[in-house]
Amino acid sequence: MSNAISTKTGAKAWSSSPGLATASRIVAAIFAGYGLAYASTMFLTVYLPLVRSDRVVFASLASFIVYLAAIVYTFAARSASRAWLVLVGLSVVLAVAALVAGDFGARR
Amino acid sequence: MSSAESTVKTKSLRQAMAGLHTWGGLLPSWLLFVILFGGSIACFDKELEVWMRPALHPVGETTLSLDQVSAWVQKQAPKPPHAIWMRPPDERQPYWYAGYEPQNELEPFVSFTLDPQTGEVLPKTLGGNFWFTLHYNLFGGMLGMYIVAIAGMFMLVALVSGIIIHRRIFKDFFTLRPDANGQRAWLDAHNLFGVVGLPFHLLIAYTGLAIFVTFYMPAGLKVGYKGDIEKMFYEVQGQFGREELKRKTDHAASIDKLVLDAKRRWAASGEGGTETGWISVHHPGDKAAVVDIRRYDRSRVVDFQWIMSYDATTGAFLHEQKPYKPGYTAYAWLTNVHMAQFGGAIVRWLYLGLGLMGCAMVVGGLQVWLRKREAKGGWGIGFVRAMNGAVIGGLPIASLGLLYGNRLIPPNVALRDHWEAYTFIAVWIAVALWAVARRNSGRVGRDLFAVAAVWALGLPALDVLTGQPGALSAAIARGDWRVPGIDLAVFAAGLLCAKMAWWPRVATPAPEKARSKKRERRELVEEGV
Repeated sequence: MSNAISTKTGAKAWSSSPGLATASRIVAAIFAGYGLAYASTMFLTVYLPLVRSDRVVFASLASFIVYLAAIVYTFAARSASRAWLVLVGLSVVLAVAALVAGDFGARR
Repeated sequence: MSSAESTVKTKSLRQAMAGLHTWGGLLPSWLLFVILFGGSIACFDKELEVWMRPALHPVGETTLSLDQVSAWVQKQAPKPPHAIWMRPPDERQPYWYAGYEPQNELEPFVSFTLDPQTGEVLPKTLGGNFWFTLHYNLFGGMLGMYIVAIAGMFMLVALVSGIIIHRRIFKDFFTLRPDANGQRAWLDAHNLFGVVGLPFHLLIAYTGLAIFVTFYMPAGLKVGYKGDIEKMFYEVQGQFGREELKRKTDHAASIDKLVLDAKRRWAASGEGGTETGWISVHHPGDKAAVVDIRRYDRSRVVDFQWIMSYDATTGAFLHEQKPYKPGYTAYAWLTNVHMAQFGGAIVRWLYLGLGLMGCAMVVGGLQVWLRKREAKGGWGIGFVRAMNGAVIGGLPIASLGLLYGNRLIPPNVALRDHWEAYTFIAVWIAVALWAVARRNSGRVGRDLFAVAAVWALGLPALDVLTGQPGALSAAIARGDWRVPGIDLAVFAAGLLCAKMAWWPRVATPAPEKARSKKRERRELVEEGV
């Protein structure tokens, strides 16, 4: 199956390919991962069904776990570009959702 | 998905995680060692503080009142301060700790340690706080705090990737093969310390990050409170505060009497006791001055201080701290689980042990990295060897050096605490140079263990020779183990170092047993790390 072949080459790429893909993953993990953690905190601060101070605290406390998961995912992902796509895509969705609510003046 | 395909997939995941674990673990490991070691020692910061202040052996009941200390502190401030803070002596801190917060927020807190009986300022020392500061910001201020946070994040990543590559967590719990070849024995040790301490390691790394969450992840504060941190803290902590009126007054209510009132109010609840913690006066001398009296309750993890606020001029009761909001209670629980200020000596010993287990995990991981590459040769071996000696040998020996400096520098020397710091730094630099110069000799570990052993075994003698005559035996007779406890613990550590230096276990390779293919494959992944 083509899928099996691509995972195999993915595994191979990790061990034998030049550092470029790895460097890309490292940058993605550190920066895009933090971006996702930041966006998820914004999102949860707006949408958690709690009073404001609790929303801020729980959203902020969850951020480290989001960051951790994003980092691990970045290195587990099939390719570096896929990791970038997922992290940046999710971040944009979450951040926009949070900002839209702010634009309506909701939950301030 | 076929099973072969899923095997390929999990194997590639494991290999990806192995790469992450190897390099993401190696990079911050020396920094992590410093943070973990500093934090472990800081469990006994207050006991070390007492050890480092031989003028307090023995210590009596305090004869000073809060009013006296408050008046004294206000006289020390060149300009009327923003606030003064006082902590009366208690069981773990048998001295007055007091200071002032200057009007200018950028100026640091100025603090004094006072003899509880005479009220004299005690000779300066870095004290037990030294390891605490090293632990949370490496003496690097805000920048240091961020560096420590990055190391903490690396630790979480290393732990999680370590769990993923490590399939047989339960079985390896009971596996230690000290007679196996070097790499496997170190791998077992790394796994053992990592797995036994795993819940603690995860918790301590996560809660360590959580403490300064508003710095590391300001998004919630920005979105929820438009970045107004004071508003948020006011809302979640339910504290009282009011602005200065800029009208002077000479009259001041007796703080000692206010404390009695606060104790009466706390006692009405019937739980948590009435021990006072920090007592502060904001805008002292102003008509709007406020006295805040905090409770110190060791009986639970969340350190709700139930602050009682009074008008400093009239003594009128102004406000009682409202209970924390649920979210803030969760935050307070996490931070206080990290700081281990609840409970008693058992909690501190437990944290010390688990923290040192974390250090051992880091050391074990570094040794696995080395042993694997020493066999084949490769890049970075000399660098890692040098760093191991310089940091893992350097910090504990320099810490001992600090204790020696503390007792050998005369009490009346100006800037005494600076000289202590120079001692610490000089010892560390000396060890580091030695470790770098002899990195490939194969003897650095044993040599440094020998140095640590001699210094650690000599510490009780140093205490007896430089302390007040008869103080140690008197303390033991009283059953006060604060100071003798430190002498004994360091002596025991010295015995361990002596064993490692002069009678190390000689590794004799055990005959290789026939192993199944399945096991073979597992080791390829794990030992490949």
